Amino acid sequence: MVEVQHVTKRYGSLTAVDDISFRVERGEILGFLGPNGAGKTTTMRILTGFLPATEGQARIAGFDVFEQPMEAKRRTGYLPETPPLYPEMTVAEYLRFVARINGMPPGDRRTQVGVAMERTKISDMADRYCGKLSKGYRQRVGLAQAILHNPDVLILDEPTAGLDPRQIIETRRLIAELAGDHTVILSTHILPEVSQTCQRVVIINRGRVVAIDTPDNLTARLQGSQTLYLQIDAQGAEALATLEGVDGVASVTCVDEHDGIGGYEIESRQGDDVRRELSRTVVTSGWGLLELRPRQMSLEDIFLQLTTEEAPTEAVHPGMVTPGDEADVTVEDRVDE
Amino acid sequence: MSNILALAQKELRAYFVSPMAYALFGFFALLFGWFFVASMNVMLQFSMGQFGQGGPQVVNINEFMIRPLFGNTAVILLMMLPFLTARAYAEEKRSGTIELLLTSPLSDFQIIMGKFLGAMTLYGIMLAITLIHIGILFWYGDPEWGPIVSGYLGLLLMGSSFISVGLAISSMTKNQMVAGLSTFAVLLLFWIINWVGDASGSTTQTVLSYLSILEHFDDFSKGVIDTTHVTYYVSFIAFGLFLTAKSLDTARWNG
Ligand SMILES: Nc1ncnc2c1ncn2[C@@H]1O[C@H](COP(=O)(O)OP(=O)(O)OP(=O)(O)O)[C@@H](O)[C@H]1O
Ligand SMILES: [Mg+2]
Repeated sequence: MVEVQHVTKRYGSLTAVDDISFRVERGEILGFLGPNGAGKTTTMRILTGFLPATEGQARIAGFDVFEQPMEAKRRTGYLPETPPLYPEMTVAEYLRFVARINGMPPGDRRTQVGVAMERTKISDMADRYCGKLSKGYRQRVGLAQAILHNPDVLILDEPTAGLDPRQIIETRRLIAELAGDHTVILSTHILPEVSQTCQRVVIINRGRVVAIDTPDNLTARLQGSQTLYLQIDAQGAEALATLEGVDGVASVTCVDEHDGIGGYEIESRQGDDVRRELSRTVVTSGWGLLELRPRQMSLEDIFLQLTTEEAPTEAVHPGMVTPGDEADVTVEDRVDE
Repeated sequence: MSNILALAQKELRAYFVSPMAYALFGFFALLFGWFFVASMNVMLQFSMGQFGQGGPQVVNINEFMIRPLFGNTAVILLMMLPFLTARAYAEEKRSGTIELLLTSPLSDFQIIMGKFLGAMTLYGIMLAITLIHIGILFWYGDPEWGPIVSGYLGLLLMGSSFISVGLAISSMTKNQMVAGLSTFAVLLLFWIINWVGDASGSTTQTVLSYLSILEHFDDFSKGVIDTTHVTYYVSFIAFGLFLTAKSLDTARWNG
């Protein structure tokens, strides 16, 4: 449904998007994940015909976005990063205007506007001026505008930005619902979002594709070494040293210390299962073993691993660094998995 | 066509929702009224003077009143129309709504014509307001209608040129203020371009005179519709619209 082939976009000397290729099949939801400035918005703008690519080709439903822009645009619904609303129009007027410029016949407009408002839960805002809406509602009107003409392909740039938690859940549900007969590409910095809504993820960094896979595969593929979480009723340097001394343990990080209880993250060397050895050591040291479990590698970890040159196991503890917070992360060139 | 109308309607709505349209109308009606009264006084004094010198004289309303009135109106328009067109593209670029227009199945031509038509409609309403004053003249006097019609045609053509330049400049910036002031500066330049005196040689003088945007208006207010002038304004309008198309395209390439 969507085909991107070797697309490059340069702004002067800056290469915002560098030789990106991917495909999205009909009915699929593709997540576009990357830190600030990765090139997500730029790629989406190329797909929607707002910007021409410097090199490469993009096709929507078989139509080249540059050669046959009208055909491609007719089949695309787009929610830009900032919802493109006219403050002087009411929500209903605005949606009717969008319906009209999308060539919808007059008879269909009113019903389609009603349906779109229903789906995005903005019916009670129909007569409000767009300029007076809260951020979350603006976002929803933007979404309503994108799905209004029932496009084959939906391109959503950070569709859940600015929404409250309940709305985020509802929007994700809506997107999942839409994916049945639409193809969806959405961008986000929020990792749980892709694992929850998307069938496939494209991770991009500095304009390059770092990985394309399903969220599950990405998680599985990167679990080369296993991380365990251990909680005992001991803490301090002595406990740390003892744990580090266990056979097969590569590194130990203290992640939690309170009331005499210590929580540790233990990385084992490749292939070694250190759980037996660990529990034995804990018991012989006279400590109480409170918890020992493998820690699932979250998409955040994957994200950091893929976008940083070396996974900094000590300095950066996932959960302390939010993705997209690139100041804390040394974002380096792509790491081949 | 439906798309052009949809866009033009949207433009008009934006003008009428903001105080902009009303401010323009009010100010324009006020200034026009002022010049109307002022030129009427001049004419009255003149006819009194003639009356004093001898028998009653019929003063030509067209010559003494309507022509100066049109001349003054041209200058008011030169100052006011830049503010009518300033927001057209600049605001869409600033707020990001241009992204909606450019990713909808609309051609650049439709967008440009929609905006032009919207601004032209507003300008048409502005001119229509002044018909009230002219009506008064017909009520009390007996002006020739020929020069009035040609004068309005001239105003329409000249105003359209101002609008087309204003729209082109608006499409080059995100800042309404910059757009308005630059348009004013450009129009001013086109007004005073032939003021450089005769010292510069007669050929140059002819060329500069030809370029001067108000110079071409004078004949219209005298009741003469000359194709040279019509051609000048139509080319001016076409050039402005062409420039807008180029500017939209360039903006697209450069992001
Ligand atoms: N109009 C422009 N002119 C010059 N450079 C630009 C322009 N637009 C974007 N860039 C640059 O291109 C790069 C990619 O930007 P882009 O907006 O695509 O990132 P993004 O992934 O959407 O980031 P974010 O998560 O912050 O939205 C950035 O380095 C940005 O500074
Ligand atoms: Mg972005």
